[in-house]
Amino acid sequence: MTGPAVDLEISRAWLVDPAAGREGPGEIVVRDGVFEAVTWLSGAEADGIGPDGVVIAPGFVDFHVHLREPGNEDAETVATGLAAAAHGGFTTVCAMPNTDPALDEPGVLTQIRAAAAASGSPVELLAHGAVTAGRTGEQLAAIGELADAGVVGFSDDGAPVRSATILRSALAYAGALGLPIVDHAEDASLTGGAEANDGYVATVLGLRGWPTAAEVAAVGRDLAVLADVVRDVPGARLHLTHLSTAGALDLVRAAKAAGLPVTCDVTPHHLGLTDEWLAGARRWAWEAGDDPWSDGALVGPPYDPSLRVNPPLRGRGDAAACLAALLDGTADAVATDHAPHTEVDKAVEFGLASNGISGLETALGILLAAVDAGRLPLLRAIGALTTGPMTLLAGRSRREAAGLVEGTAADLVVFDRSASWAVTPESLASRGKNSPLIGTELRGRVLLTVAGGRIAYEAPDA
Amino acid sequence: MSTAIGPDAAAVPSVDDVPESQPIAWRHRHLLDVDRLSTDELDLIMRTTDAMREVLARPIAKVPALRGRAVTILFYEASTRTRVSFEVAAKNLSADVVNIAASTSSVVKGESLIDTVRTVEALGAQMLVMRHSSSGAPYLAADIFSGSVLNGGDGWHAHPTQALLDLYTMRERMPGGSLAGRKVVILGDLLHSRVARSNIWTLTAAGADLWLCGPATLVRGFEAWANRGAAGRRFHLTTSVDEALRDADVVMALRIQRERMAGGLLPSMREYAARYGLTRERLALARPDALVMHPGPMNEGVEIAPDVAAGPQSVITDQVTNGVAVRMAVLYLLAGTRVPS
Repeated sequence: MTGPAVDLEISRAWLVDPAAGREGPGEIVVRDGVFEAVTWLSGAEADGIGPDGVVIAPGFVDFHVHLREPGNEDAETVATGLAAAAHGGFTTVCAMPNTDPALDEPGVLTQIRAAAAASGSPVELLAHGAVTAGRTGEQLAAIGELADAGVVGFSDDGAPVRSATILRSALAYAGALGLPIVDHAEDASLTGGAEANDGYVATVLGLRGWPTAAEVAAVGRDLAVLADVVRDVPGARLHLTHLSTAGALDLVRAAKAAGLPVTCDVTPHHLGLTDEWLAGARRWAWEAGDDPWSDGALVGPPYDPSLRVNPPLRGRGDAAACLAALLDGTADAVATDHAPHTEVDKAVEFGLASNGISGLETALGILLAAVDAGRLPLLRAIGALTTGPMTLLAGRSRREAAGLVEGTAADLVVFDRSASWAVTPESLASRGKNSPLIGTELRGRVLLTVAGGRIAYEAPDA
Repeated sequence: MSTAIGPDAAAVPSVDDVPESQPIAWRHRHLLDVDRLSTDELDLIMRTTDAMREVLARPIAKVPALRGRAVTILFYEASTRTRVSFEVAAKNLSADVVNIAASTSSVVKGESLIDTVRTVEALGAQMLVMRHSSSGAPYLAADIFSGSVLNGGDGWHAHPTQALLDLYTMRERMPGGSLAGRKVVILGDLLHSRVARSNIWTLTAAGADLWLCGPATLVRGFEAWANRGAAGRRFHLTTSVDEALRDADVVMALRIQRERMAGGLLPSMREYAARYGLTRERLALARPDALVMHPGPMNEGVEIAPDVAAGPQSVITDQVTNGVAVRMAVLYLLAGTRVPS
């Protein structure tokens, strides 16, 4: 099923290796699926090789994806999700447990592992287990059995862990097993019926406001509970996923400074896009002005349901805070929250559309746009996709490291920063065509993805 | 956005002719919002409404302009006033009208909006007037409908023909027909009001000194809009009804819905009436000839006192009459639209 171990030589490329903390001209040789040589070039040999051309990086790791199998295979399957991952440069993905049935006991994990094996994809599939049985928020899921079966964390994502009592138990129980609780931080009492980030754009568009306070309040609660638990259970760990607000990131920054065992991730869409896209703007967050109605930014149709996402796209201040959190290490990783949906669930009124953005295949392009704009160093962007999330996995990946390390199985992505690709429904391997970037061009075309020493994706004309 | 309408910009349309024969090109296929209408375009709608008023004054208030055209009125929300107004407007233009109320169609069986619009089109609709409780829904319809979509009100977002009839009614009563510098007050529940949102665009375009006023919970979010003055159009926001009404030229009260109490936005209807209701005493703060308006339907004794609603300054019934003329005007203009290629 899986293809043969690959032999590969790439000379005169730009290597980016966050594990080694370095980038520069170099060459790689892969023999029989293993990095045989990783050579850094200097002097005359390096002439003419720059970071704006072909780049080789360790294969990306996504701590947060939705693969929809079992239960919603119209939106995505394990096979199509892994194909999307490979097309996006990811060689390890962690599936969220909000399937139907939920991944709240090892049987569902066995099932999706079988689907991954049957797909023939060499992309590594890991999974989070549910915090509560059936994700109903009432009783703990089979946390110990799931830990034994190899999950990488526990999450009721799609919804927050509503009860602070359950959260406290889960942090303690999972923490004693060395696993994190991954919370979707949302105070639902502030978001009933909410459609769009509470602010200027939502007011003008008449969309029901989704306050940043809903996230900040939930993060505050989570951190307070964590501080309480960690006194008795030193192994307790909290990971806050898809943080979208300056307020929540400030709380995490302070909590880390105080020594609490908390980590977090931000998504490409929350750092690259803002709520003005809902009005029809189509520019990056760092290009946004004060008023898209005044500065000619409204070039697309308003109310595009592919922009409906939880948490919602925020204002430019919050987007800048997501980027700043990546730069100063408050955010440990970029995770896509890849959330494929069918057209039936998305081609409806904005307020009725399912939340989520199909994001595995556009993550690199959004981050490279930030790099191109001088907002994010390339090494940090790649680190947020490799070493950052690998640290969150705490040794539960088959990979020893997210680096270009001689003698290890090759997990790598090769992309061309000088080449653009058009995001179209046909160009996406995911069944979820719900990307707001459809119709745009992204820089950084992926030419080759190798996972576990085997080819996961190869551009048709590469 | 300014759209050049051409050298005939001041001409009055001859509405007895078919729309395509007009020398003045209308350049929008749909009327989904008023945010991008230029002042020239607003003027053209006002002049076309003048012509429709003249038609309405005839012994037989009907012209053949839209004969043979199929207009479907698709309402997903209960409405009498707006639906009937559109229907009368379309019939006055000799269009064939089909009414679909969402409660009596297959919508209740779970048919999607897109499927419904495709069905309506397959049944021959060329113009679609729609009302929907979800903000932005008409954009979804316009994306797939081959004819023209007229927004008859979507969620909290927009109610274009209401804003246009309000503008027409105000201009008709103002000396010189201009709102420039006139103090116009919109009073009440702005948060949930598509009427207020559309009026912000049209009244600021007309140069009015616009004031929005309501309790803090019902004007929340508008501060950012008022300060930005989207597209360079500023307005004022206050929770003080006295400050808002002082020397006003126009006062428009908005409907307060009982659901707002359940949402924790207001203590009681009684308290709202006492603090924000448009009473005769409050109205005395405004100019003596100030106009009193209300988009309907009214809760008399809550947001507006019965004697004010029926008083000499009230133009509420004019709003209803002008609503038919404005809707005739936009149906007529959209029927003759020439979208630049």
